[in-house]
Amino acid sequence: MLEDTLVIAEKTKAFDKVKELNQERTVRVKQLKAAGKKIIGYLCLHPVLEMLTAFDLVPFRVLGDMGERVTRADTCMPPMVCPFLRSCLDLALKDKYAFLDGVVMAHICDVGERMAHIWRTYKEYNYFYFMDVPHTVHPPALDAFKEEIKGFQSSLESFVGEKLRVEKLEEAIELHNEQRKLIRELYDLRKPAPPLITGSEVLQVIIALASIPVDEGNELLRRLITEVHERRPRLPEKKARLMIWGSVVDNVSLIEMMEGVGASVVMDDLCLGTRAYWESVEMTPDPLDGLAYRYLVGIRCPRTLRETALYRNKKDYAADLEHRFGYLRSYIREWNVKGVILQSVKYCDTHGYEVPAVKDYLQKLGVPSIYLEHDYSYGSLAPLRTRVQAFLEILK
Amino acid sequence: MTQEKKRAINRLESMRPIRAEIDETYRQSAAAVREGKPIAWAMVNYWIGDAILHALDIGAVYPESYGAVCAAMGAAQSYLDRCGEEGFPTHMCGYARNCIGYTAKMMKDCGGQIPPDAPMGGMPKPTVLVSRGSSCDAGFKWFQALGRYLDAPMWTLEMPVPGVKEGLSKEVQERNVKFMVQELRSFVAFLEGIFNKKLDWDKLSETIYDLEEIGRVWHETNELRKAVPCPMHSRDFWTCMNGPTTPTGDLKKKLALYRALYEEVKYRVEHGISAVAEERYRVGFTELPPWHSLHFFDMLAERGWNFVVETWGYHPPRPIDLTNVNDPLERLARISYSGLTTAYFKEAAQAGEYMGFLGYPNLEYAREYKLDGFLLHPLLSCRAASAHLWYVQDRLMRRLKIPSLMIEGDIVDVRLFDLEDALKKAEAFEQIMDHYKHVRKAAGIGW
Repeated sequence: MLEDTLVIAEKTKAFDKVKELNQERTVRVKQLKAAGKKIIGYLCLHPVLEMLTAFDLVPFRVLGDMGERVTRADTCMPPMVCPFLRSCLDLALKDKYAFLDGVVMAHICDVGERMAHIWRTYKEYNYFYFMDVPHTVHPPALDAFKEEIKGFQSSLESFVGEKLRVEKLEEAIELHNEQRKLIRELYDLRKPAPPLITGSEVLQVIIALASIPVDEGNELLRRLITEVHERRPRLPEKKARLMIWGSVVDNVSLIEMMEGVGASVVMDDLCLGTRAYWESVEMTPDPLDGLAYRYLVGIRCPRTLRETALYRNKKDYAADLEHRFGYLRSYIREWNVKGVILQSVKYCDTHGYEVPAVKDYLQKLGVPSIYLEHDYSYGSLAPLRTRVQAFLEILK
Repeated sequence: MTQEKKRAINRLESMRPIRAEIDETYRQSAAAVREGKPIAWAMVNYWIGDAILHALDIGAVYPESYGAVCAAMGAAQSYLDRCGEEGFPTHMCGYARNCIGYTAKMMKDCGGQIPPDAPMGGMPKPTVLVSRGSSCDAGFKWFQALGRYLDAPMWTLEMPVPGVKEGLSKEVQERNVKFMVQELRSFVAFLEGIFNKKLDWDKLSETIYDLEEIGRVWHETNELRKAVPCPMHSRDFWTCMNGPTTPTGDLKKKLALYRALYEEVKYRVEHGISAVAEERYRVGFTELPPWHSLHFFDMLAERGWNFVVETWGYHPPRPIDLTNVNDPLERLARISYSGLTTAYFKEAAQAGEYMGFLGYPNLEYAREYKLDGFLLHPLLSCRAASAHLWYVQDRLMRRLKIPSLMIEGDIVDVRLFDLEDALKKAEAFEQIMDHYKHVRKAAGIGW
């Protein structure tokens, strides 16, 4: 059955496969499960995926569903918290994630941490692990996080019933690094004017990758990149080249809306986007060192605090902004970004505190920006459309 | 002949000098800055950083506590509005928005001086910011955001937050303590570098001893509240909680004040004196109260509601045996780690309740303080304090048949709290508490 599916996949155009996986994310992992593989759900960016791959477990990213009304989660999580996480929990309580063999979650933010424990109380899995993640990138925090990854490894060894071989971990790191490299290649296809692939298409690709094993994802990406190069006719040119920044976007509607009113979303700073793929894992003598650095320091989520060196024992705000957001400068330059849309789901504190600082930095770079807040529902997109249109007028 | 109306809550006399001492620290900190002395703005950090600041003679003020002051004195709204004008989303922490608005006003409008309308003498411009990695994301993101206005350097005190099952492992606990000790050494080096001053380790040890002792006395005081009727109302707890959680000023004087408080509560227990005229309902309160509307609790006291215990996170750490721990930084790490995260993990895991960090202690309190009900106060601007309350409500009922009343509000923003509606709900809730007394009895649950 497993082989049949792969043969079918080879005959299918890569983007058709992407669309199929967006329509039903679980289609492939359910086949794999039937063939004896174990599927492990993970939330957000900090669970170390290489570790799952090294144990021949299939990572499956837990996402929400904007189209599904939250009902079950109402009993154990209030409405004034992250609507995305509420949706994830709601799906779990409705047994939409019952096919998972295990779940790994991490201390990503207050609500993510609380939700992990609530999830664990109400839903039993054969395997569940909660990873703590330090808030700073201080050297002792890095050491502590490496120890945390060791704890995660031990728990998986108990679950699988075998010790991890270093070679397997190194192979897994290479596979995931290959995916990161391919994603960066895919993003390069957004640099031309007009871009060869739209922002909403890229998001669909990333959602698909989060739903299948990494080796299959790499193959899909290779074929997709070739297909995109061969695309005819090319996409129409749109003058407004936008970057989108902020909290999780796991539904194409928001980006489709922006692209539908005359913008090209050519770059992102999102967790289903560059934050998940931009930094590779350095191959260090002890692979856990490279993993710890990449997953604590390399992931640019505002849940982790970074601070610039002091100047004469004082904090320099301009230097602090450069230290925190300097990577955006290269995104803007290389992808020729003309405006930035900062967006967040309502009640996301880690992004909320960041918004004025990011705006300050973009202003310093001379790039216009706008902040949009939404409640993770289709209904909230209509008023945002008007604001995006107004923003595009400013960019003209 | 007129008769003076008796107050519904029988407040402790020994609470008043404690409150006065806490208030005095604001005046002292402003005076210290005028004299050119360093001052820290610190997040409530459960001693871990406070003791080091204290031993280095760096005064500390607590913007969270000041947020409560601004709310209670009706001064918060203008700061909240100012924060919104500065571009911060309005759903963020009320304390943080109050502080950001205050800081923007101080730095942009008042040339770095305390705004003239600031209540209780105001908070002086800080020399250093000490944030925390525990409890909430605002604990460090808020102070990072202050970098728009202040050039004060910032340090974040790390606090590991393991899962309940994972945190039970001795190996995990020891490596987390080791991590915290390393971080504290870095913190000491950071402060010594900023202030060009060496830490007096003997003074640090003495400070920690004083704090441990204040914590022990305060813990034992709260243990006395298990008595029926309860001798001390939550309003007295809230008045006094800043002493142990935000230790500033003369610690030996504070210790004497808390010992006097203990004696008064003990006397009440021995003589059956209640904190309310007639204790009809023993109620627990979870999360921070609406500081702007504390008279709500007086109204409930008139109906016989005695609030006998409140949020675990603001209670002192359970005393632990540190006989063989001589390194003062390790003592601090162990106290804070146990106190804030892992204290109830063992019981929580035994009960299969994995929400040990903030959720489970409510179940433990319900049993120990023989509660009839809980008043849960989700804060519309605080995820950290609210995300688990629906879960707590569910577990209280499933496990112990204890009903809870959910009344939404906010610690700072008075517009988010509807007093009249809350009173109506409370009145109806009495029948529910009465009903569940019978249910518990039928189910063989002890009270």
